[in-house]
Amino acid sequence: MRRASGSEVLGRVVETLKRLGAESVTVTQEGVVLSTVTKDRLRDFVRALIREYGESLRHSTCMGTDLRPVRGSFSVTHVLALDGLRLYLLVETEAFGNRPKVPSLTPLLPAANWAEREARDLLGIEFEGHPEPVKLILPDPWPEGVFPLRKDYPYNKKLYETPAQVRGVRGEPRFFSAKPSPPSESVREGCALIPVGPYHPALHEPEYYELYVEGERIVEARYRGFFVHRGMEKLAESRMTINQVPFLAERICGICGYTHACAYCQAVEAAARIEVPERALYIRSILLEIERLHSHILWFGVAFHMLGFDTGFMAMWRIREEVMRVAEALTGNRKTYGMNLVGGVRRDIDEGKASLVLRMLESVEGEFRRFCDSVLSMREVVERVKEVGVLTREDARRLGAVGPHARASGLGIDVRVDHPYAAYRFVDVNVAVRDSCDVLARILVRYDEVIESVRLIRELLKNMPKGELMAEYGDLPPLRVGLGATEAPRGEDIHLVITGRGNKLYRWRPRAPSYVNLATVPTMLEGERLANAPIIIASIDPCFSCTDHVVVVDLRTGVRRRMNLLRNALTRG
Amino acid sequence: MGTWFRRSTWVFHLNSGSCNGCDIEVLNMFAPTQDVERLGVKLVGSPLHADVIVFTGPVTFQALPYVIEALKAVPNPKAVVACGSCACGGGIWHDSYNVVGGINALYEILDALGIPRPPTVYVPGCPPKPEAMMYGVLLARGMVGQRQRREVYVEEVKEVEAPQDVREVVAKAVKAFRGGEA
Repeated sequence: MRRASGSEVLGRVVETLKRLGAESVTVTQEGVVLSTVTKDRLRDFVRALIREYGESLRHSTCMGTDLRPVRGSFSVTHVLALDGLRLYLLVETEAFGNRPKVPSLTPLLPAANWAEREARDLLGIEFEGHPEPVKLILPDPWPEGVFPLRKDYPYNKKLYETPAQVRGVRGEPRFFSAKPSPPSESVREGCALIPVGPYHPALHEPEYYELYVEGERIVEARYRGFFVHRGMEKLAESRMTINQVPFLAERICGICGYTHACAYCQAVEAAARIEVPERALYIRSILLEIERLHSHILWFGVAFHMLGFDTGFMAMWRIREEVMRVAEALTGNRKTYGMNLVGGVRRDIDEGKASLVLRMLESVEGEFRRFCDSVLSMREVVERVKEVGVLTREDARRLGAVGPHARASGLGIDVRVDHPYAAYRFVDVNVAVRDSCDVLARILVRYDEVIESVRLIRELLKNMPKGELMAEYGDLPPLRVGLGATEAPRGEDIHLVITGRGNKLYRWRPRAPSYVNLATVPTMLEGERLANAPIIIASIDPCFSCTDHVVVVDLRTGVRRRMNLLRNALTRG
Repeated sequence: MGTWFRRSTWVFHLNSGSCNGCDIEVLNMFAPTQDVERLGVKLVGSPLHADVIVFTGPVTFQALPYVIEALKAVPNPKAVVACGSCACGGGIWHDSYNVVGGINALYEILDALGIPRPPTVYVPGCPPKPEAMMYGVLLARGMVGQRQRREVYVEEVKEVEAPQDVREVVAKAVKAFRGGEA
C-alpha cells in the first residue's frame, strides 16, 4: 500500500529539494536522495527542509571526506532521515583550503553536534557557529593540527612511535587527563562527586563518568568516552580492500557485529549496483535474527543482574548458550560470524543446519517464555521497573531515539519495515510497540521481539529459495556513494561509503545506534533516584565499543535545568 | 607458570579497548555452561583483589595509562591471561594510529618504565571460545599443563620482481591449478 506511492513521494521530494535551492539532486539508490548545496546556502537549505518536513526530519549522522586528491576540496555530507516518507536525504557541501570552514548545523539540529566534532577532530574541518568546538575522540596528548583521516596522514603512524616516549619527566607513565570539563555553575556547593571508571565494577568497558549527587539524586553527570577509538575508518580506507572490510566491520562490536557487516555490504552493493542472490539475502536475515536473539537474551540477563536478580542473569545466559552453539554450527564461530562478503554470503544453510536451528528455536522459545513469564508475574520485578525511567513519546521523537527503545515509547519505527533490506522485503515483520514508556515497556518490547525473531527465523527458513550464494561482479566503479541501513538489536545502524579506485574504499563512515539512544538518558533520569540509574541506563542497551568511533548525538538535547546527567558530554576531550 | 593460585584464583577483567566480543565470552565463562566459580575462579571488581588479570583488547592510547595503573595495582605474584587476537598481538588493529598493538607492545612500554612483566598466558582467537579462556586461566593457575611449545618461525623472504600484470599471473595460476583448463 505504502510501496505503491513510493515513486510519487520520491518525485515530490526531489522537486521540493530543487525548489529549496539544491544545486543538483540525484537519486543514488532506492530510498536515498543526494543533493548538493553550496556552503553559503547550506543553513538556509536545511532551515527550509526543517520547515517543510517538521519533526519527521531526523539528523542521522554526518560524514566529512578529504576529497583533495580527487577534486581539491573537502566535503561534508549530512544524512537526514525522513522515516515517514521512508527516505534518507544526503546533503553534501564542499569547502576548500587547508583549514576548510563550513557552517555548523548544530544550532538547527542539535543531533549534529558530535558528528561535526568528529569531522573536526579527524579531518580538521572547522564548523562555523558550532557551540562547542573542542576535541572529542582523539586521545588527550594528540598533537594539534594533525588529522588522521586526511589522505596525507599515514594510517600506521602511531601517537608514540617508541615505547620510551610514553615516559614522562619523572619516569612515570605520562598520564592523560581523563577529566571531563568542570561542572557547571548549577552544581551547588555540597554536592558529592562520585567518579566512575575508567575501570569500575559497574562498567564492562572503559568509560569515565563523574556523577555529582545531592543526597540520593544525581544533579549532574559528565562523561569522557572514546577509550575504544581504534581508528578503523582509516584502516579500511588505506590498508584494506572492499572484501576485507566486512571482517573489520564485524569487529566494530562483538555483540552486534554481523549487523555492521551487513550494513557495510549493503552500502557497497548499493554503490556498485550489485544484485545479491535471494538465497544470500535470506541467509543474512536468518543470521541477523539469530544475532538479535542472542543479543536480546544477553540483555535480559544484564537487566536482571542490574535489578539484583542474579538467578535471572544465570538462567538467561544458560538459554542463550544454545543460540551461541547454533551460531557456531552455522558460521564456524560463536561470535564474529565472518559470513558476509560484498555480493553475498560465504556459507550455505543446508537442511541439516536448518533442522539444528529449528530444534534450537523450539527449546529456546519454550524456556525463554517459561522463565520470563514467571519473572514478569513476580510483583517484586514488575513494581521495580514500572514507571521507572519514563521517556514520553514526544521526547523520544524529539531526541531521535531508535530501535526497541523508541518502540517502547510508542514510536513504531523499525528499519526492517521502514527501509526494508535483506530478506525483510519478502516477509512481514510485526513491529512490537508499547506505550507505557518505562523500563517495563522496554522489557516487554524486547520480550515480544525475541518471540518475533523466533517466528521470523522459522518463516525465513521455510521460504528460503534455492540458488546462488554470491553475485558475480567486476571492478568497483570509483567515487560512488552508497548507504546501508540495518535494524541492529539496538536500533538503526547506518553505514555510508564512497568507493575508491582499485577495489578499495575511498571513505567509510559507520554509525551505531547506541549514542542516539544515549541522548535520551538525561530525560529518563529526571526525578529518579541514584539506585535506579543502572537499570535506566542499561534499559537502552548501550554498547560503547560500537559508538566510540561512530558517535552522533549531542547529549545536550535532552537537558533540563535541574537534572543534567550526561550533559556537556565530552565537552573537553 | 607457578602454582601460586592453586586454592582460588580471583580474576579481574581488564578491557583495554576491546570490541566486546572477548568480553562477553569472558562473562560466559562465569555463566552456567562453564561456571568456573566451581573451580574457585571468581570475578572481582577491583585489581587490588585480583590474582590474575584477564586482559582483552589491543590497548588504545587513551586507555594506556589506566591499563598500566590497573596492572600495577594487582599484588604480586600475579599473572596475565591475554584473551583474544587483539590482546595477543594487536589483531586487526595492530598498526593503527591510535592503538599500542597488543600486550607485547604494552610490555615494551612497561620495560621502558621499569615495571616488571608479569608471567603471561596467550589465548588467541577472535573471540576465543570460553573453554579456551578457561584453559588459559587454569594454566595460569597451574592446574593444567601447557600443550603447545613455543616455536618461532621465520621465513626468508626472497625479493621477487613485481609482476607486470597481476591479473595475468592470477589467471595463469588458476589455469595451472585447474590442470590446464581455463
